[in-house]
Amino acid sequence: MGMKAGKTTAEKLAVRNGITFYRINSDKFKTARADLFFVDDLVKERASANALIPMIIKRGCAKYPGVKELESKLEELYGADIDGSVVKKGELQFIGFHMSHISDRYTNGERLFDECCDLLMCMLENPMKEDGGFKKSLFTQERDNLVDYIRSRVNDKMRYSLTRCLEEMCEGEPFAIPGDGTEEGALLLSPQNTLEIYEQMVSSYPAYAYISGQVDDKSIQRFIDGFLARDRGNVKKINTECVSKDVKQIKRLDEKMDVSQGKLCMGFRTHVSPVSEDYFPMVVYNGILGGDTHSKLFRNVREKASLAYYAQSVLEKYKGLMIIMSGIESANRTKAEEIILKQVEAMEQGDFSEEDIEAAKKSLETGMKSMQDSQSGIVDFFMSQHLTESGEDIDSMIEKLNSVTIDDVVRVAQKVQLDTIYFLKPDDRRQEVTI
Amino acid sequence: MKPETSTLTRNLSGRENSNSRFRTITSERLNETVYEYEHETGLKVFYVRKTGYNKKTAMFGTNYGSIDNVFKVPGQDNEIEVPDGIAHFLEHKLFEQEDGNMLDKFSRLGSSPNAFTSFNQTVYYFSCTDLFEENFRMLLDYVQNPWLTDENVEKEKGIIGQEIQMYKDNADWRVFFNLLDCLYVDHPVKLEIAGSLESISKINKELLYDCYNTFYTPSNMVVTAVADLEPETIFSITDNMIKFKDRGKVEKKYPDEPEKLNKEFKEQKLHVSMPLFNMGIKDNVRAEGFELLKRRAALSIVLYHAMGRSSDLYERLYSERLINDSFRCEVSLNTGYGYLVWGGQSPDPEKTASIISGTLREVASKGISPQTFSRIRKSQEGLFIRSLNSVEIIAREMLDSYFIGTGLFDEVKVFEELDTDYVNKVAKEVLNNPSALSVVNPL
Repeated sequence: MGMKAGKTTAEKLAVRNGITFYRINSDKFKTARADLFFVDDLVKERASANALIPMIIKRGCAKYPGVKELESKLEELYGADIDGSVVKKGELQFIGFHMSHISDRYTNGERLFDECCDLLMCMLENPMKEDGGFKKSLFTQERDNLVDYIRSRVNDKMRYSLTRCLEEMCEGEPFAIPGDGTEEGALLLSPQNTLEIYEQMVSSYPAYAYISGQVDDKSIQRFIDGFLARDRGNVKKINTECVSKDVKQIKRLDEKMDVSQGKLCMGFRTHVSPVSEDYFPMVVYNGILGGDTHSKLFRNVREKASLAYYAQSVLEKYKGLMIIMSGIESANRTKAEEIILKQVEAMEQGDFSEEDIEAAKKSLETGMKSMQDSQSGIVDFFMSQHLTESGEDIDSMIEKLNSVTIDDVVRVAQKVQLDTIYFLKPDDRRQEVTI
Repeated sequence: MKPETSTLTRNLSGRENSNSRFRTITSERLNETVYEYEHETGLKVFYVRKTGYNKKTAMFGTNYGSIDNVFKVPGQDNEIEVPDGIAHFLEHKLFEQEDGNMLDKFSRLGSSPNAFTSFNQTVYYFSCTDLFEENFRMLLDYVQNPWLTDENVEKEKGIIGQEIQMYKDNADWRVFFNLLDCLYVDHPVKLEIAGSLESISKINKELLYDCYNTFYTPSNMVVTAVADLEPETIFSITDNMIKFKDRGKVEKKYPDEPEKLNKEFKEQKLHVSMPLFNMGIKDNVRAEGFELLKRRAALSIVLYHAMGRSSDLYERLYSERLINDSFRCEVSLNTGYGYLVWGGQSPDPEKTASIISGTLREVASKGISPQTFSRIRKSQEGLFIRSLNSVEIIAREMLDSYFIGTGLFDEVKVFEELDTDYVNKVAKEVLNNPSALSVVNPL
């Protein structure tokens, strides 16, 4: 392919049957990979079904009807991987499926791409069905697994507090719907109505396919030609707009739980969409405030005040949110909040140095360059680009990033609004019971 | 809990070249070359060049972790015993230098610095895309130059205290350490890596220097790097930057661990949605070097055969809803200790555990068929090849293999030497050992 090292591109191969096919040009990896994404609006009616579908698909297909048969086959294919999952980005759900396997150079003469693609397609097109729905026993197992999974989000206290903060903050907006749907939503599903949504997914959700690694043209053509042999003449429109909401009043919520460490989550509205010219200034802003070990939050909350092991800020790119998170002693809560808000204020006032902005830019540039060393990272990057139709390549993005000035950062800093303060509070009655 | 995946079969043609001041070993099969260099102090450096990669990484590690708490300080006659969590504490403190915090300095260059402490290693590393040379010099420099004061040691207790509190709320971590407490009577592998609020309160500057002076010595350490740069760059920077002198062989001591379990069962209640269990058995046979790799690989194959996703047991437990997608199994084998562990969420850990125990006894007596053996081996081979996509994993594998006395490609070679007989022999030795169960129940 002769691409310059470090230059990664996605070449549009075809638009066929309502699916856009891309080939990622990068041949340094030891694996080949095919990714397929279906995209849907995040809505209550379909969120849980969209989350359940990949779990059912993964259970096998007409040719390999059980976990044992399917997994044995994958082992034969040098530990090939076929997986499906759902991811929430902004107010969209991405239902993703992928297969990956070691490149033919490393097998004993076997050529794996065609076989792995056929297996993925078999699973996608011929899931196990009966009585006009998904196979009932399998459906029930996976629906129960989904409910267990939704309930288990409480197990990881850091993730739980983040989810709760976002839920409270975006109450009444689609964004409040969890990426895996809700328990109530899951319990309303039946083998039949889930199959119906699956049919909608394969025939009308916008779809994108990516091929990466060392795959010959013939196999790629075969993949495109054999893809989803059904009519996709009517691909629906999805809403990629970033919904912004003005904050009227700051919301405060404390939730008690039997935990040792309190988790503070502060949710902000950035009012910056991923396609706006303020987007790169926003990314730099976040880097200076809480993105890395040079950031204000890390230095002031952790290193200076010794209040926390972690103190960081993260952006939700599509929805225009920023969340500051820190794990602290309950008694230090007011102090931590004060220090954090002081850093946010300092950003508004331009109280940061040229060195700070340079460090943030360099660290972001490193991230963009490193992303190109991960096959899944590259796919994820281009998927986002294609969805927002930004059409920008990595080099021009790095250029934009590096042209951000202190004034730009101050400008976006002044747009940032605190919305919700959530605190997962250790319950004093906590006792450890150990036998 | 990620299974050990360093396994590969056949066709490894090792080529060696020692014309220059470094040695190279090439694996045609894997399409990779390891460059090896020995500094005059005895410090070894291993390098892999990844053409076309932007990301570059280097690690500087010492063969010293949470289990090394009884040892002789160089120049002293008696052994000392140090508080739990001190290796990890020292790891945090090395980032602090007289002229500022290293975390800050690295990130000003746009790179990501970090470090970890495990049972038997403390490793400092960074990853970057630009300015590798500056980053690499900084790494080699600060690890050789601790700067500890009474004040900065006290300050760190607040930060580490919060790290300890965080782990207390982490159910996966708790269920795992409770299992180790069941498996081990005396061995320090059962101790929390970060220690406790109580144990870290006893840590002071003097004790930290004792640990540093004992374990941070060239012959007990290793440097690994992966980048798309001339090998000479790596070795000449090492030459220029390594200033410390070797303080001799480390003398450390571990208790004799009895074969029996400490206890069969341990339960803790935490705020979780459904019970979580870890179950495990000890491997009481100790091995070193290539033998250790071989034993580890054999046990991985046995464990996958018994309870991997393609096993009858997995299918049964999954369809009876006794386990779900969170189920994992792993082999952890080192020179000083070894265990097999598996677990996940289950509505009925006791019932699940009893079914698993039955299957393990069956697997031990029936053994593995040649077909299953070769299928699982093939899949493990694929997993290893796959892992070589990552610069971090390659750097880490080189470091791990050096400390157990092998090399990166030995992780491959070991599978050429495995056969069903060996695997079945090891299965018999280990799977009949008594198992322990740790459960975290909802409050």
